[in-house]
Amino acid sequence: MADIVSTQAKTAPRPRRRNKISAYETRTAFLFLLPSLLGFLAFMLIPIIASFGLSFTNWQLLAPPQFVGLSNYIRLLTTDPAFFNVLGNTLFFTVEYLVLNIVISLTLAVWISSLKRGQRWFRVIFFIPTFTPTIAVSIVWLLIFTPGGVMDYLFQTLALTVPNLLLDSKLAMQAVIIVTLWAGVGYNMVLFNAALDLVPQSYLEAAKIDGASAWDRFWKIRLPLISPTVFFGTVMTAITSLQVFDQIYVITRGGPGSSTATLGFAIYTNGFQNYQMGFASSLAWVMFVMIMALTGFQFWLQRKWVHYDS
Amino acid sequence: MTARVRTPRKPPHQTRTLVLDTISHAGLTLVALLFLFPFFWMVSNAVRGNNEVLAVPPRFLPTEYQWGNFAEAWLRLPFGKFFLNSFIVAGSVTVITIIVSSLAAYAFARLKFPGRESILVAYLGTLMIPQVMLVIPLFLIVSRLGLINTYQGMILPMAFSSFGAFLLRQFFLSIPKELEEAALIDGASRLRILISIIIPLSLPAIGLLSLFTFIGQWNNFLWPLIVVNGMDHATLPLGLTMFQTQQGTSWNYIMAGATLSMIPGIVLAIILQQLIYKGITVGSGFGGR
Amino acid sequence: MKTLKHLAAIAVMSTSFVASAFAQDQVNLTWQMWGSNENDIAAWQHLADMVTEVHPEIKVTLQTSAWNDYWTKLPVLAASGQLGDIVAMQSLRMPNFYAILEPLNARIETDKFDIGAFDGSIIGGMSANDEVYGLPYDVGPWMMFYNKDMFDAAGVEYPKPGWTFDDYVATAKALTKDGNYGAGLTPQNFSLFSAALGASYINADGQLDLANPDAVAVAARMIDLVVTDKAAPVVASGADPGAFISGRFDAGNIGMYVDGPWAMIGKIDTVKFQIGLAPLPRGTEELAAVTAGSGFGIAASSQNKDAAWKAIQVLTGPDALTFLASEGRALPARTAQQGTWYDVAAADVAGAREALEYSLAHSATYRITNNWNAVENLFNQYFPLAFAGSATAEQTMQNIQSLAASQ
Repeated sequence: MADIVSTQAKTAPRPRRRNKISAYETRTAFLFLLPSLLGFLAFMLIPIIASFGLSFTNWQLLAPPQFVGLSNYIRLLTTDPAFFNVLGNTLFFTVEYLVLNIVISLTLAVWISSLKRGQRWFRVIFFIPTFTPTIAVSIVWLLIFTPGGVMDYLFQTLALTVPNLLLDSKLAMQAVIIVTLWAGVGYNMVLFNAALDLVPQSYLEAAKIDGASAWDRFWKIRLPLISPTVFFGTVMTAITSLQVFDQIYVITRGGPGSSTATLGFAIYTNGFQNYQMGFASSLAWVMFVMIMALTGFQFWLQRKWVHYDS
Repeated sequence: MTARVRTPRKPPHQTRTLVLDTISHAGLTLVALLFLFPFFWMVSNAVRGNNEVLAVPPRFLPTEYQWGNFAEAWLRLPFGKFFLNSFIVAGSVTVITIIVSSLAAYAFARLKFPGRESILVAYLGTLMIPQVMLVIPLFLIVSRLGLINTYQGMILPMAFSSFGAFLLRQFFLSIPKELEEAALIDGASRLRILISIIIPLSLPAIGLLSLFTFIGQWNNFLWPLIVVNGMDHATLPLGLTMFQTQQGTSWNYIMAGATLSMIPGIVLAIILQQLIYKGITVGSGFGGR
Repeated sequence: MKTLKHLAAIAVMSTSFVASAFAQDQVNLTWQMWGSNENDIAAWQHLADMVTEVHPEIKVTLQTSAWNDYWTKLPVLAASGQLGDIVAMQSLRMPNFYAILEPLNARIETDKFDIGAFDGSIIGGMSANDEVYGLPYDVGPWMMFYNKDMFDAAGVEYPKPGWTFDDYVATAKALTKDGNYGAGLTPQNFSLFSAALGASYINADGQLDLANPDAVAVAARMIDLVVTDKAAPVVASGADPGAFISGRFDAGNIGMYVDGPWAMIGKIDTVKFQIGLAPLPRGTEELAAVTAGSGFGIAASSQNKDAAWKAIQVLTGPDALTFLASEGRALPARTAQQGTWYDVAAADVAGAREALEYSLAHSATYRITNNWNAVENLFNQYFPLAFAGSATAEQTMQNIQSLAASQ
């Protein structure tokens, strides 16, 4: 994130005249920021610090917290049998979901932008799942996936022997990924579609005259031009997919076995079901570090493929 | 928005393009239909008897259409009240978010002050904190403020997302500075500039932020659950879970209630689409998730 | 920050001012309750008003959340000191939550309160470590619900009190045909069947003991019914497998399944067939039918414990329970008031009265551990693997046992 910030700082002109009014500007800026800062402090920063503090306690919610030092962190790294499994599930989900989400939403975006008619209707259709209340999403998909439900019926009718996704510990995560993709590709599709619309038509025409195929035009012109948008979509999707919780909570509850238990799910179960808020907080901070690391990695990687037009 | 129709010169090409176009449209329509299947399933289950929801093999259409389920779901619980509460909360959060974020974004984008970069980085960092962890500390703060079971308690903690400030900052940065300079020389205040120059130019980004914020709050479940007691302040997502009782689950009413609760979001998206559409990428493309 | 402190100070001042103005003669109690629709809430409000009728100086304010949400919310309220004076509690959650409630033994003794008027098993359910923490309003033994029409069509005899698990398996097999299943099983049925068959899943110290041969044998019989006999459908791991089994019973796809009398009122109007009711099957010994139920406790943090004690006596008194039974809402925890329920909620149900009376005569307190919530979640996660045939009963029980110990 620091990159975006510092680019702006570097490119901003700094004539002397500006420096003289900076005291006034600082005051104005402070007034502009005041409401946001107050809210940020009360409803973000203080809770975050509190949750960090809680990760060093043994808080069972019903009795006051006790300071236990690093023992939550030591427990999750050494004795907890579930932690590394949960970590593995989370990474598996994130990688597969991230790749599929970007590929599918980009494909849909390119496809829709190539249409001559009905673009806006397709955009709304693929965006509809975002309006759907989580509980409804979960029930509809459960009715589809449940043993004896629509999915099984369909495979039976087609005489295919596909095991029920929710009953197979190797496939259950695929069910979660399908639901998450259905619910989530709309955001990135809208984003990429808008970016594609802004690619100057003249570039594409010129390339066409030079004899570039549609395939080449996509890889050599359109993708590089929208790469900053794709990059931001990827970063945001990665952040949210490492936190995946809702779909797992409502569809598989971590099962069968522990094949779909992720970090987000483990935080909820430990905190709100087993009432071990201190331990749950330490899991949350492990997750935070992972998200930071992945985001940092993506910023490092962007130099290789993101094309900034400046 | 408007598709640029190229005028091909040669008839053979024209027919070929036409065929390809038709295939392309038909293909995407097929994908869209598959994509919409869960909604078909939702509505189909909303208008059947509760005893048919889990029938094996599944019945794609109800044996008997119970259109009255929509009215029943609406009347069985004070759904009108839930709709109103959801509107009040989602609407207020959206309005506050837009105002607070615009002010902050303008400071970040245009004003120089000590600590600007660090504050911005701190804002961005909070996007990475798992929300579920903040619920309890947040609840303690809200209860200290005496705001449990009030609209303020439901609205305020949700109204200061750093996402909004960051999204708008990116957009403001893309607006040419020259537009403001004339006004500055004329002695206009920064607030005036923000209101009369920057905001009107940023309507696409503001539309997008409104849509994301409104939908996010419309479907928000965990925070209202924690902060609301009883029916008076309950929102729609809380209302839907009230069909799952100790006595059993009314699947059909949940589906009917969910169908009804999606309508405002869809209407909003259709209305805002034109406005939003040009907005997302301009601010160096930050948005979505 | 200053503004926040000011706001906080004002808020605190105004609430304490309001409170003290009424404190002279009037006691205001808050009642934490679940309730899902206006009928529910009206019934609870009626009970709250009954308290004021009996004790004019006490006013009870109702605070409700939906059933599932109540349990997410309760610990948050307790953690932040916002708990009401009267707290509704279900027997299955008592081991989790008794620490936030006031022990009642001393009050019961001092006031010579007649605790014997309640069903004994549910007083056990409202207790922890031999201390009563709540007065119950309802009680329900788990029983076998069956689709009478399906039995008639298949020419199979209805289950009767005193039937055995072998009868149950035979009946389930006989009913399984045409894509329908004779029985429906959920992972949570394990502990109910274990108790019914006299197998212990908790040792003498109150610790979970799933890997003992008796417990494994019960799990194996359940798994066989699904895997070998194919007489019960597979359920997936999920939030509420019970709701799916119950839904498929409603659809007429399942002949028998296990539920409590609380489910009856919603079921009768939904299904398109005659429902019958039987006790759970027994093993070689007499049946032990475990019960669940709910009641009201006093928050340990309450400032008005004496008033709350008076209030919960009214809320679970004979009049209140007769009212609840006449509404069909609950099978009263007081034995003397149970008659009303049979006439209202189970009027058209074959064998209802007989099944209930037999079950209550054989009722037993449901033994559960402090982390029962977590254990049930593990049942939900790990039984489906066994139902799908990819784990044995022994592996399943050992897995759950070792994971439950680490939580």
